[in-house]
Amino acid sequence: MNSHGVTLLGYLVILLAAVLLGVLGRWTRAPVPPLGDVLRRIMRTRTGRVGVLVGWAWLGLHFFAR
Amino acid sequence: MLVSQAARDEAVAEPARRWPRGVPGSRALVIVVLLLIAFFSAISGKPLDGLLLLLVAAALGWDARRPAQGPPAAGDLPAGPPVPAGPPVPAGTEAGWARPGEVARAAARASEANLPALLRASAWLLGGAAFAVVAGSFGRFSWPATIAVVGVGALVVLAGWRRPVRRQAVPGPLPRAGLLAWAALLAGAGLWELRALFSQPSLTATSYAHPTISALADPVLAGPPGRALVLAGWLLLGGYLVRR
Repeated sequence: MNSHGVTLLGYLVILLAAVLLGVLGRWTRAPVPPLGDVLRRIMRTRTGRVGVLVGWAWLGLHFFAR
Repeated sequence: MLVSQAARDEAVAEPARRWPRGVPGSRALVIVVLLLIAFFSAISGKPLDGLLLLLVAAALGWDARRPAQGPPAAGDLPAGPPVPAGPPVPAGTEAGWARPGEVARAAARASEANLPALLRASAWLLGGAAFAVVAGSFGRFSWPATIAVVGVGALVVLAGWRRPVRRQAVPGPLPRAGLLAWAALLAGAGLWELRALFSQPSLTATSYAHPTISALADPVLAGPPGRALVLAGWLLLGGYLVRR
């Protein structure tokens, strides 16, 4: 497999791991909190809230703004 | 966000202990992360991204060093004990005392009260779709696209600055193993993206052999339909986050 394939495989593994954690957290009794609970926990303080929202805003800027 | 009365009383009684003038650890961590992203954005040819992140990091630092004036907003208090959500009790009833007819009438009243909420949600969805279509018609990295995205991003961050947009029960202590798994996943994704970024010929030139997520997204974002779809997804994600 060439470098391109390895890089894509890495992204795919990360995506699948995220889906797996999401499923474990939402539909099983595994000790994995749903992502929504994690975010709510992080965003209970101003710093966490602003940090997460700035991360979201940065995504839009990164893909669309000059 | 719900806060126990004990936590609120403690914060009011001892503001110096709860709200030191120095930068607390978690805030310092967020500021450092923002500064790092600002640095990498700036050297990757995105000076505006870097400047905006720098401004937010400076604002958080300034906010931390401000002397506390009065009790902090509820959204800034540490979480109290978890508040069980429990089943919703229809308005106008008292648990355990409502007669069947009263429950039906209260449910009908609650349904009528939800109508404006539905209208509001529909208006937001329509507005968001219109924004995605219009902003998606602008060229990538053009000034109109920049103004549209920066405007919406700034509004959402400002909305979240003062207090949570919607009060929600804070979940109780979360399992440490699961939190570590999510943190490891986030760190892994960031490191993998950085690996691709630093494997490019330069920070501003994409590489076929080591594509970053931005490079992979380029074909999707080349035309207005793809841009509108991605912008709609970005808005939905923002709406989800701002209601956490």
